[in-house]
Amino acid sequence: MSGAEVFLSLIKIVIVIGFLLSMAAMAVWADRRQSAMLQDRVGPNRAVVNLPWWLARALMIGPAWLVAGLVSVPMWFGVTSAEVLPKVSAGVQFGILVGWFSLLLLSNYIRKHGSRGPVDRAIAAVDPRAYFYGGLILHLTALLLLPLLPKSMWQIAAKGWGWPFPETIQLATGLSGTFVAVVICSSALYAASKIEQGSTVGLRLAGTLHSVADAIKLIWKEDLRPRNADKLLYGLAPLLAMFPALVTFAVLPFGNTMCFVDTIDKATKKANGVLDFGELTNLASTVAANGQCAKGQIAVGLQVADLNVGLLYIFAIAGTGIIGAALAGWASDNKFALLGGLRATSQMVSYEVALGLSIVGMLMVTGSVHMGSIVDWQGANAWGIFVQPLGFLLFLTAVVAETKRVPFDQPEGESELVAGYFLEYSGMKFGLFFMGEYAEFVFSSALLVTLFFGGYHLPFIDPDGIRIVLGSSVIFEQSLQHWAVTLIHVGAFFGKTIVVMWLHVFIRWTLPRFRYDQVMKLGWTKLLPLALVNILLTGIVLLGCMDASPRVAVALDWAADLSQAFVALAAFGAVIWMITGLLDTPKRPTYRSSSSARYAAAAGGVKAGDMQA
Amino acid sequence: MSEQNKKWTRAAVRGVTGKAIARPNRNAAVQSFVPAWLKGTGLTMQHFFRNTKERMLGQKRDPVLDNLDGGITTIEYPEEKRPYPERFRGLHRLTVRDDGSPRCVACLCCSTACPAQCIHIEPEEYPEGDERRGYERYPAKFVIDELRCVFCGFCVQACPCDAIRMDTGQHPTAYDSRDQFIYEKETLIEMDARGGGRRTANPRHEPGDSTHPGLSRDHEH
Repeated sequence: MSGAEVFLSLIKIVIVIGFLLSMAAMAVWADRRQSAMLQDRVGPNRAVVNLPWWLARALMIGPAWLVAGLVSVPMWFGVTSAEVLPKVSAGVQFGILVGWFSLLLLSNYIRKHGSRGPVDRAIAAVDPRAYFYGGLILHLTALLLLPLLPKSMWQIAAKGWGWPFPETIQLATGLSGTFVAVVICSSALYAASKIEQGSTVGLRLAGTLHSVADAIKLIWKEDLRPRNADKLLYGLAPLLAMFPALVTFAVLPFGNTMCFVDTIDKATKKANGVLDFGELTNLASTVAANGQCAKGQIAVGLQVADLNVGLLYIFAIAGTGIIGAALAGWASDNKFALLGGLRATSQMVSYEVALGLSIVGMLMVTGSVHMGSIVDWQGANAWGIFVQPLGFLLFLTAVVAETKRVPFDQPEGESELVAGYFLEYSGMKFGLFFMGEYAEFVFSSALLVTLFFGGYHLPFIDPDGIRIVLGSSVIFEQSLQHWAVTLIHVGAFFGKTIVVMWLHVFIRWTLPRFRYDQVMKLGWTKLLPLALVNILLTGIVLLGCMDASPRVAVALDWAADLSQAFVALAAFGAVIWMITGLLDTPKRPTYRSSSSARYAAAAGGVKAGDMQA
Repeated sequence: MSEQNKKWTRAAVRGVTGKAIARPNRNAAVQSFVPAWLKGTGLTMQHFFRNTKERMLGQKRDPVLDNLDGGITTIEYPEEKRPYPERFRGLHRLTVRDDGSPRCVACLCCSTACPAQCIHIEPEEYPEGDERRGYERYPAKFVIDELRCVFCGFCVQACPCDAIRMDTGQHPTAYDSRDQFIYEKETLIEMDARGGGRRTANPRHEPGDSTHPGLSRDHEH
């Protein structure tokens, strides 16, 4: 392993641990916040940092200008005629996106705070949905029309029209980049001008600062220890509870394999086959459709440890999570804590069986326990949830039980055991238990994504670009740069993890807690046999498919592509549904508070209620 | 079998009256719990999306002003406040004259009327040569223990000069210690009325004014 590879590994570790810890802290907050939204309360969102107006303005303008610069400046340099179309296309799409999105934000702001001047009035006069639909239409038109422009145009542009711009093509891309930059900069400036001089702006970040406040509070709280507690084990238990969730994330791939070009040494005229620090900037411009690095390139997998026994390692380490709960319950010298620890131990041991057996079907289908191969299989074929629906349901149930979350939170059921095995803990030791629990929650969501939701894969996005395929016919093709695909994949993995966490939280706020014997019965008499049935069925189907005619293979291929198309359309539809829902402006219903007011209203008059004076 | 027994049995044969209650449905869908779980999750999601949307768009109905028909009427206190009635008795304030001095003449009516005995006044004479000396006194100390006060409003009724009022519209704040609840004269003067301002609408006729109804220094007997 070269120094550069060690350096990259350290970066990957920082990314993974950072994501786990920050998301665990955020999930503690989001859990409460989401429940509050269900009940129409605000929830924990009151932590605030008051910024002076100049800092708030700088925070609005600075990042926007930075993005504008990063987007526009490279457009002025080193464009070949082949790169023009994708670059112009990406620039135009981005510009349209920024345009309608900032118009929407502004119109919402003006509606809330009142208009100042003719520009405000003009923006607010239009129905916000018109901006969104207009933006969508512009996106589609640009996407469809730009490739239709004659190729000769680009060629002529590449040759140049002579004076004053010998490289007209450079001018075209540069101007489109500058257009985007101007849109971003001016909307940031306009938004910043809305902050009045001399005022202070409360920075709440939609309430996420509350998790920071919670952590600070926990760190400064007194760390109590019961007199008869086992000193060593009492201190060790929270660490042991935290440890497995952090370590197991190491084998989850959070992005595709990155390829770095190996530079050829001038003296020996040979590549050394090792990643050097100088080569960290040599990211390959494109990779093959199967994601394999070409000869003379060095592959760097986006996971901390690329173990070929990935899934077995996860189960081995995750199993040790039981010890933390058991030790905490035993060392606390408290009978409720002991009972909680016992419950936690027996429940986790029971559900470990169902957990392991429920994904055997998935392993049989993909033919590997290597996490990268499982993800690649799902990308090439269909997501695990379509291949193994029963296995998915069983795994989901078992994983919720394994992370001791509602409706399986008997180990800490407050109506029976006060707080269960961490009853006696306070301060940051309690915080560690909490963080560990939520880190496990984040990890389990990531594992669900990796096994059943295609990992970092998005439908129709191959390592070399967008390719919409149905059966054997290619409908749409658009090549993408390697760095862009990598960014999309990494974003997709973390984004999917967050979405699955969000869905997980709904389970918690929907289902009531089971009774303890029901939990045990469910695990041993329902999940375990069902998992075995699933294995059997998978085996039969697999055997059938192996000897089937080529027609069946084609049909399976079609089914796989259709499932990918379904996912893509569903995700697209959900996004549009959410945006249009948010832009919808129904009339606010008004209610009269008293019967006399209602009579007055019926007679055409007005009578204010007692409280409305 | 005797005749009586037969009658008794015949009565029972009439059959059970009342509504038949359906047996719980135990098909696979119910037993697997999956449809019920999906339905419940859908319901919570529906609430989540509706509430999120209303809050983001600022369409949330006011729990006080729009009297909701059922549903949740929680008032999220620091952000939303229930509007108090106009005549709500809040914290006390001492009204002032045009020159900014308190209207109070330290007659001790309020502290006498106070059932909780939370008002402490130390009256003092105006210094020699002052216009008001001989007519009225002023409170050197005027202290109200807001923790002791029962907010009955007797002090306001007792005051002959409209000097003490409870129209600040504020309820006592939460403090760290008891001594912070003891409001001195300066604090009471600095409290504003609900609509702003520290005076009252009732004019005060100072000695020497032509409108002064009482005796003046130049009055001839």
